[in-house]
Amino acid sequence: MAAVKKTVDQVKALEAYEHGFVTDIETEFAPKGLTSDTVRYISAKKDEPEWMLQWRLEAFERWLALDEPEWANVHYPKIDFQDAYYYAAPKEKVGPKSLDEVDPQLLETYKKLGIPLREQEVLLGVQGAPKYAVDAVFDSVSVVTTFKKELAAVGVIFCPMSEAIRDHADLVRQYMGSVVPVSDNYYACLNSAVFSDGSFVYVPPGVRCPMELSTYFRINAAQSGQFERTLIIADKGAYVSYLEGCTAPMRDENQLHAAVVELVALDDAEIKYSTVQNWFPGDPVTGKGGIYNFVTKRADCRGDRAKVSWTQVETGSAITWKYPSCILRGDGSSGEFYSIAVTNGHQQADTGTKMIHLGRDTKSRIIAKGISAGASSNTYRGLVSTNHKAANARNFTQCDSLLIGKTCAAHTVPYIEARNATAHFEHEATTTRLSEDQLFYAQQRGLSKEDAVALLVNGFVREVLQELPMEFAVEAQKLVAISLEGSVG
Amino acid sequence: MSLSRALETGDLAELPSRRDEDWRWSDLRGLIRAIPPASPDASARGEGPFAAVCSETMLVINGGSARIHLAAGEKKTIALRLISRAEGTSHSADVAVTVAEGAELTLLESHESFGAGYITDVEMDITLGASAVLERVVVATEAADAIAVTLARVGIGAGSKFAQTTLAIGAKRQRIETRLAHPGAGAAVRLDGVYLVGEKRHTDLTSTVTHKGEGGTTDQLTKGAVAGQGRGVFQGRITVERGADKTDAKMGHHALILDDRGEVDSKPELLIFADDVACAHGNTVGQLDEQAIFYARQRGMTLAEARALLTEAFIGEVIDRIEHDGARDVARTWASEKLRGLT
Amino acid sequence: MLEIQNLHATVGGTEILKGLTLSVPAGQVHAIMGPNGAGKSTLSYVLTGREGYEVTDGTVTLDGEDLLALEPDQRAAKGVFLSFQYPIEIPGVPGLTFLRTALNAQKKARGEDEVSAPEFLKRAREVAKSLKIDFDMLKRPLNVGFSGGEKKRMEIFQMAMLSPRFLILDETDSGLDIDALKVVADGVNALRSPDRSMLIITHYQRLLDYIKPDQVHVLAAGRIAASGGPELAHQLEAEGYDKYAA
Ligand SMILES: Nc1ncnc2c1ncn2[C@@H]1O[C@H](COP(=O)(O)OP(=O)(O)O)[C@@H](O)[C@H]1O
Ligand SMILES: [Mg+2]
Repeated sequence: MAAVKKTVDQVKALEAYEHGFVTDIETEFAPKGLTSDTVRYISAKKDEPEWMLQWRLEAFERWLALDEPEWANVHYPKIDFQDAYYYAAPKEKVGPKSLDEVDPQLLETYKKLGIPLREQEVLLGVQGAPKYAVDAVFDSVSVVTTFKKELAAVGVIFCPMSEAIRDHADLVRQYMGSVVPVSDNYYACLNSAVFSDGSFVYVPPGVRCPMELSTYFRINAAQSGQFERTLIIADKGAYVSYLEGCTAPMRDENQLHAAVVELVALDDAEIKYSTVQNWFPGDPVTGKGGIYNFVTKRADCRGDRAKVSWTQVETGSAITWKYPSCILRGDGSSGEFYSIAVTNGHQQADTGTKMIHLGRDTKSRIIAKGISAGASSNTYRGLVSTNHKAANARNFTQCDSLLIGKTCAAHTVPYIEARNATAHFEHEATTTRLSEDQLFYAQQRGLSKEDAVALLVNGFVREVLQELPMEFAVEAQKLVAISLEGSVG
Repeated sequence: MSLSRALETGDLAELPSRRDEDWRWSDLRGLIRAIPPASPDASARGEGPFAAVCSETMLVINGGSARIHLAAGEKKTIALRLISRAEGTSHSADVAVTVAEGAELTLLESHESFGAGYITDVEMDITLGASAVLERVVVATEAADAIAVTLARVGIGAGSKFAQTTLAIGAKRQRIETRLAHPGAGAAVRLDGVYLVGEKRHTDLTSTVTHKGEGGTTDQLTKGAVAGQGRGVFQGRITVERGADKTDAKMGHHALILDDRGEVDSKPELLIFADDVACAHGNTVGQLDEQAIFYARQRGMTLAEARALLTEAFIGEVIDRIEHDGARDVARTWASEKLRGLT
Repeated sequence: MLEIQNLHATVGGTEILKGLTLSVPAGQVHAIMGPNGAGKSTLSYVLTGREGYEVTDGTVTLDGEDLLALEPDQRAAKGVFLSFQYPIEIPGVPGLTFLRTALNAQKKARGEDEVSAPEFLKRAREVAKSLKIDFDMLKRPLNVGFSGGEKKRMEIFQMAMLSPRFLILDETDSGLDIDALKVVADGVNALRSPDRSMLIITHYQRLLDYIKPDQVHVLAAGRIAASGGPELAHQLEAEGYDKYAA
């Protein structure tokens, strides 16, 4: 009986990762492995100007000199960087001019993912639902960007990074690498050398971007890494809300995802960046496969009163190593970090944020909710710091961990560095398990155990869900519930 | 890797550096360029801070060894004076404390300085039998240019009670570390600290508590005030191992920075591998409550008086938890004197 | 005694008091009533010098002396006492320690001798008894974990011990049951004297049944909208503040 039950659970859990299908389309790869020729290949494939190639080659040289980091709370076999493809693209002669030219298989994929690529579909969507423009990145390349015209009318640039490098070189050269320097860390440096695509956003002074911008990332090809690079610039007084979603098929081997995201907010600008990350987490029983998600995300509140808000719902990946951060450079600037990290099976997540207070009267707020189930491990790691000059820096941090089951782990590792007499930092953390009393209470009123867990977990993460754009909040809520399915015996 | 290894072997590479995660804020490698010669023999001076409240005293001067043993059921209060009477030299001490089953010890420990520029290293091994009780109160008053490291390894038995209050004013580099293995099993631990750091002094109160069995409690409260260019470091790690269910652990660290050049670094960690636990920590760094200051001034206190009163009360919350009446009074007087020096 | 002329004050950049003029002669008790958010507490904080309450125009004098130029503690030493609408909790400081420190600071500022500990304790016992306060409560950290009513009583206790000359009671009646209200009123009435004045801020005329005011003012939209005798309080109780709405 036990074995049968186990199999049933296993199948159910596999089903739970509903994005685990592989799309069968012709793919073009770079030669396996990583040398400076790989870098040249990628750059040539993308028709890049010479300065970009030089930038990449310099990053590659520096990467060779760096040591791979070792972390306290994540464990995985050593990555063989030569045993992977650094570029994979759906095969086609030239980039698609319109949606009609896109490989129908690809469109089918996005349909399965529920990404509304066709503007009409968005428009025909739920009544009253806000419009959002989509950039879709399939393996290494951006496939299609919607609503470009409407955005261009207000001066907003939203396009694949490869296109921005060609058409908006001045902006790219000015800002790329200015928030995350090339050799910031091992994976950011690797990304700088081999990044393939990603999204570029520029919102001009005083413009409120008229719709949500979003990018969907999907790793499809086997043994390929995805190294996307996103750069968002909100000029003075501009506002933009951006959302990224991520999925990958189920595979036995681990795949590497090492993105770099840079945000720049000038005076009085505001950027809201939301992530719903649902990369394949690996086999829930054996822990085999799954994405290694080593991402560097950083925002520079470069201007006075600039504001950046990170919201993340992390349910996927075998290993997540990720600290979306804010450099609060401008006087009166503020940073926020809202996070839900769910780990189940054999997942390991080490995630949190850094709030670096440099300007006067800067504020930050961190709300992190971690849920661990199965044999997973979930770590919050965060840094709040201020220098001597950041008078009146304020931080509030709330970190809560919820444990479900006897074999999971939850860690809280906050670093605080306060260096002036007017700084005020406050950190609270709790670790609890799902309350038996509450579960029983909900069940007594007629909820199934699964529903009761979902209900209680939703209550636990509500504060963060509220920060997401409405339609994504619903999606995220479902995702959290799915990720925890089968976690309560 | 430790200071004591470095002193023993003369090998500077044995010194912990900022690259070691647990020493990131208290680097020794960059600070100690050469191992100084060994300190000479010396005699004691004066009376220790606990002289008035305790009749039995043990002395360790410029390093050496001490053994304290309480037989089953014994009950004692002992003052342990660790004296540095040295100029530019170095010394190590090792102390073993065993409190057998059911015995009760109050250990009043003072780290006293009659010198300058020395390096002192103290290693302690503390063992509590089942149902034994130990209250350890440490008052560490090192010279401003000294380097002082103390490490206590504590093992406690089922149903025992271990309570500790460390009071420190820092040094050029001061580290007072406690590593405690907690068996659960109804044992109760209180680990408190106070740091009052001014000038260019540095202090580091570090602790690790590992809950290995079911049903234990840990209650930690550390408070500090930093003035001048002083630097206070607090690192607390509570680990709850798999199976250590029904653990109840809480950790609080709260600090005031009184001057703009002061610095407080802290890292309160919870590493939890069991689900049936209640663990929490709170960490604040900041100033006195402005509302409370206004309230006190509305009742007539000057700004300076209001601050002094509220700061003393802030620190007093830790000192009030000392159980030994005499030691509590000594600690309170000591702290208010040091606080006056800061503000 | 207290003269307020054309007082304008802002909080967080918003003007709350907009030209308030009021005079409370020595020996008199004046009541201030008004709707929520009218600026009553703001007035009490401006008079006592709380940070963040910025006076942009007007004058306030106590016996001819410019009050606004003084620090909060200097005002306290001049005898200005505020019973807070929401008394502050002071962890770690026993009520008696707090009060004795305050009393001696005031005496020092006035060039008087400090009170001795036994003398202070003796008076504290007497006053506590008259206000039906359990003496042990005074040994606990001030206001920490006290109920709303207990906090208000602690305010009156401090007031009685400090014997101020100008008393401001900000909604001291709210949160009190009828017995506690009587005790508090008795305490306040006992302090009435020809050289003391009082400003009683309240929502309800109920308190004014026990502490008879000489004058009643309506504070609405940042200024005194009407003034009258005790009968005005009854009228407000019956009719509400609607007609004074800004
Ligand atoms: N710190 C503050 N910042 C901005 N507005 C405030 C602040 N404190 C009070 N106010 C506003 O000032 C007005 C008057 O408040 P208050 O004096 O407390 O009213 P009352 O005591 O009459 O009920 C209210 O509208 C209130 O919201
Ligand atoms: Mg009010």
